[in-house]
Amino acid sequence: MKPLQPTRRAVLGGALALASTAARAEAGDAIRPLVLICKPQATDPAQYQAAQLCMQEWRKLGLKVTLQVLPATQQSSVVWLNRTKWDMTTWEMVGRPERSDPDELVYSLFHSSLAQNGYDFVGYKSPEYDKLAEAQRAEEERDKRAVLVKQAQMLIKKDQPYVYLVYPRRSMAFNAEVWDPATVVEEAGIGIRNFWTFLQAKPLGAKKDMVLNSPQPISNLQPVHMDAIGSWVSDLIWDHLMRVDIHGNPVPWAAESVRWVDPVTVEAVIRDGMKFHDDTPVTLEDIQYSFQLPANKNKTPQFYPNVANIDQVTITGPHTVTFKLKTPQASFFTSTLSKIAIVPKHVWQPIVEKLANTSQLVEDYNEPKMIGSGPFKFVHWRDPEEVMLTRFEGHWQPPKLENWILRTVSNQEATLGMLRNDEINFLAIFTGDPQNVADLAKQEPKIKVVTTTDLGFQFIAMNERRAPFDDPAFRMALSEAINRKIMAAAAWNGYAEPAGSCVSTALPFWHAPDSLLMGGDIGKSKKILADAGYTLSGGQLHYPAGRKEEITAG
Amino acid sequence: MSLKALLQRLGQTVFILWVVTTLLFFLFRLMPGSPLAAYIDPTMTADQQAILLHQFGLDQPLWKQYVLYLMNMARGSLGVSFIYKEPVGGILLAALPNTLLLTLTSLLIAYAFGTLTGALLAARRGTWLETVTLPAILATRALPEFWLGMVLLAVFSFSMGLLPAGGATSPGASFPSAFARYTSLDYLRHLMLPALTLAIFLQGLPTLLMRSNMLEVMQEEFVVMSRIKGLSEWSIIMRHAARNALLPVATALALGIGSSIGGNVVIESVFSWPGLGRRLVEAVSGSDYPLAQGAFLMIAAAQIVMNCVADVVYSTLDPRVGRR
Amino acid sequence: MSATTVVTVSWRRQARDPYFIAGISIYLAFLLIAVFADQIAPNAPKDILFLDNGSLANALPPSAQFPLGTTTSGCDIFSQLVHGSQSALIVGISAAFVVVSVGTLVGLLAGYFGGFVDAALMRIADIALGIPLLPFVIVLAAFLGPTTWNVVLAMSLLLWPNSARIIRAQVLSLRERAYIEAARTAGSGHFRILFHHIAPNILPLALLFGSIAIGWAILTEASVSFLGFADPDTTTWGFMLQDAYVSQALSRGLYNWFVPPGICIVLMVSAGFFISRSYEQFLFPRLRD
Repeated sequence: MKPLQPTRRAVLGGALALASTAARAEAGDAIRPLVLICKPQATDPAQYQAAQLCMQEWRKLGLKVTLQVLPATQQSSVVWLNRTKWDMTTWEMVGRPERSDPDELVYSLFHSSLAQNGYDFVGYKSPEYDKLAEAQRAEEERDKRAVLVKQAQMLIKKDQPYVYLVYPRRSMAFNAEVWDPATVVEEAGIGIRNFWTFLQAKPLGAKKDMVLNSPQPISNLQPVHMDAIGSWVSDLIWDHLMRVDIHGNPVPWAAESVRWVDPVTVEAVIRDGMKFHDDTPVTLEDIQYSFQLPANKNKTPQFYPNVANIDQVTITGPHTVTFKLKTPQASFFTSTLSKIAIVPKHVWQPIVEKLANTSQLVEDYNEPKMIGSGPFKFVHWRDPEEVMLTRFEGHWQPPKLENWILRTVSNQEATLGMLRNDEINFLAIFTGDPQNVADLAKQEPKIKVVTTTDLGFQFIAMNERRAPFDDPAFRMALSEAINRKIMAAAAWNGYAEPAGSCVSTALPFWHAPDSLLMGGDIGKSKKILADAGYTLSGGQLHYPAGRKEEITAG
Repeated sequence: MSLKALLQRLGQTVFILWVVTTLLFFLFRLMPGSPLAAYIDPTMTADQQAILLHQFGLDQPLWKQYVLYLMNMARGSLGVSFIYKEPVGGILLAALPNTLLLTLTSLLIAYAFGTLTGALLAARRGTWLETVTLPAILATRALPEFWLGMVLLAVFSFSMGLLPAGGATSPGASFPSAFARYTSLDYLRHLMLPALTLAIFLQGLPTLLMRSNMLEVMQEEFVVMSRIKGLSEWSIIMRHAARNALLPVATALALGIGSSIGGNVVIESVFSWPGLGRRLVEAVSGSDYPLAQGAFLMIAAAQIVMNCVADVVYSTLDPRVGRR
Repeated sequence: MSATTVVTVSWRRQARDPYFIAGISIYLAFLLIAVFADQIAPNAPKDILFLDNGSLANALPPSAQFPLGTTTSGCDIFSQLVHGSQSALIVGISAAFVVVSVGTLVGLLAGYFGGFVDAALMRIADIALGIPLLPFVIVLAAFLGPTTWNVVLAMSLLLWPNSARIIRAQVLSLRERAYIEAARTAGSGHFRILFHHIAPNILPLALLFGSIAIGWAILTEASVSFLGFADPDTTTWGFMLQDAYVSQALSRGLYNWFVPPGICIVLMVSAGFFISRSYEQFLFPRLRD
């Protein structure tokens, strides 16, 4: 039976309703126009294009979808702080080295305890999922843990809380006449812009300074502050007990060795003879203090979650520090020991005391000397022009390059020009079309490009707190409508891989290949909707029988 | 200009500054969305957010905030940037010299070129030179600045590699003092392209103004007299006419300094120039209200003060204004 | 000299001026394109196009199907350019209209009544002149959402004083003319004198500012778009340039994308300058010969 036009139905009235089958007789209300939030095209052209493509498809299902363009910060503010006020939004989880352990994303994005005001911003709740997420967190054995992580991904495939789109592929480049290509290494999911490259890169000729680019200025360089780009720099100035290696695994670094004594005890043997940039030795008290500094939730809210599970840090030998955890945490090496910066107690203790009775946060304090014990020491920060670091000879593994200079270049087109003209010799990030970098390398043989599939992923989040997104069938229908292959080609110009889970293909050990829903079949979407009781009337999609539209559009 | 008129004009300027400051305060406070949006971490609890609001004084009634704002302003404090957690005044003062140097250099080039070309065009009125040049000059005023900037970048930097593609000094360059930095050859090299772009955009006004003033002045009695006296045409133009035609150009220059500082926003983004305008754009995009407000205020203050200077210059040099 | 003669004489002289002819022709051409945009443009400006084989039609060179090629996201450049003339005219004319209306009204009132009215209006003008235009548009766009109307709003709020000041000066001199005196002695009211006798003489001057303001509006919109505060729902030339810029069209040698919107802007804005120039010649006839 064809859906009737509303006017005719009104005329025919109740007689027809009685005649038709019970299920079809009373369609629910028409679904309100849905609003998709997106950043301005200038900020993220690929995401913007993706949103346009999705809307084109969803309209074919009889949905009215409108785009609401908000500046990035307003978008975050609406999505994170007004959790009942939005329908859908484009979003991305960025790849950070510590995310090479799947725990952070697998647990935080979908665990029901974080739906209220944590990372589960879409409000997905599933007791079954919670169990899996908790189990993988406690499982010490890597292989067994991988099975649990994959099960979690498959459950998400069934429930589709997100419309996963792609894992972007990012291009970075360097000047192979300046840097020995053999010493520039690619880190899984991160690319060639990583600690190991900066440490090992060998200058081939007289030019020994690495000059890199950043599209935006750095807001903060402090060791207890997280900043998208500032973290590249602070990671070099301040050392960590462990570091994530190029395969994504945590390896001992400032610690000689690290081992699990039992599920809640970790013992680290600290390397001997390390020095801070002010020539003072790195003591066990400094190490202990480094993990206590971020433990004050009100003074260092950003890093607090990374140490929240530590019950106690004690010095248990001439070179040994022991960590007692509150609960078992399989990701502890990656998310805590590789993340927390070793800071000099003699510098930070007075600062903490000074700020104790003020409203100023410790993480906001700008300590001008920036003393760490990492392989690079701080020279100057001329904001918004450049940050300059230099090799620290006193480090046990000093870098081969001389100076490390990060330039702020707001004009992406000029960034490529600079790479060509040797004004920069390392393209650390490129927010434009990666094809341009590839083209440049073709014209200029000295430029070597390395393209890496990102740890992060791009998706459209649906607010499960609001109908019709509370219905898994509806979410599945939206997801099925999107062809990820076309998405990768048309929005990311081919520089992306279809995505199906929060664990990127860059992490083959943890990634579940079957989690991918390729999509692109509108017929299938329509069928899912029809089976779930949704009806089309006057070209507009209606809720299943008995469901009212309770939210006003807009 | 009499002392009384001067004081009156200064009083007006202070009044305008106050009004603009007030307008800005309410503009920024009454905007939709939490003023801390950029700053509040998603994982923060309500308590932590309250602490922050308190820290920035945003939990006070609006009028109290306003009084506090004016008092701070009187002490030279523009607040603390949300993003950088540093005093706004310091951040802006670091950017100010770059913006001023860029503006002044480009205006200097534009006005030097403009007055000479304007005078020349006036002298060559009705010739082919005028037929060709005049529409061209009008068209350069119609170019979008960033478009022109990108084209110049593509030519002089990307293709020819003559000039750097962005920034104010070379990577890693260090200078014994700020003065040494601003006067270095390196700085000048970086300044050239942005200044040239701005100058091309700005030269239209002085050229056209000079030309029409010259034409007007050339008909004044004293010029006619000089001609009768048999002075050479060039001597008439340069010694007598140009001097008198310069007055409106000088006024336009003063006004131009004020308005160009605000207009530099675009050029600074194209050339990654570390100036005030880029600070403003970043602050606005990042919802860093104190920084955005401070940058806006500084640009507005420059404009208001230069408007006043232009008035004073004009009425001092032109006695007719005072008498009217 | 009566008001009507001024305007007629103005028109006759104008019609022979090559600058005026050039300016008006450009305006008319864009007006025609804008009116018939839907007929001229083969595609909707923001449609993402696919080729027959299902692949995305991106970064194509000019061809019969796409006269100016396509953008890297698969939109038809020619269609965008054609539709851009609509928004350019809408933004330009509405901004010019408001700026000139407010400017003329304020100039008339301040010049004619003088005294307190004059002083108050001129102080407000000083304040508006103290607020930098582009930063103001950026702030408006960030707070009120990115729409093209922010440009119009900001221009309306800030740019009227220039025209108001000049028109005021003109009114001051007109006020003392004999025929105004005559009207006043004949018992005409303020309103009648202002709008019947004085306003028509101000008209050419107002049009002069209007034709400049159209250009300013288009340039301002382009700058605002470039800085990333563009209206996502409309296709303007500024948006096109910004799109080309963020896609590094210049590095890729896609001049078919980067150049045409720039030329359109230059043409449209110069047209205003050309017209204003020929008005200047009429208004300040000493410059003519």
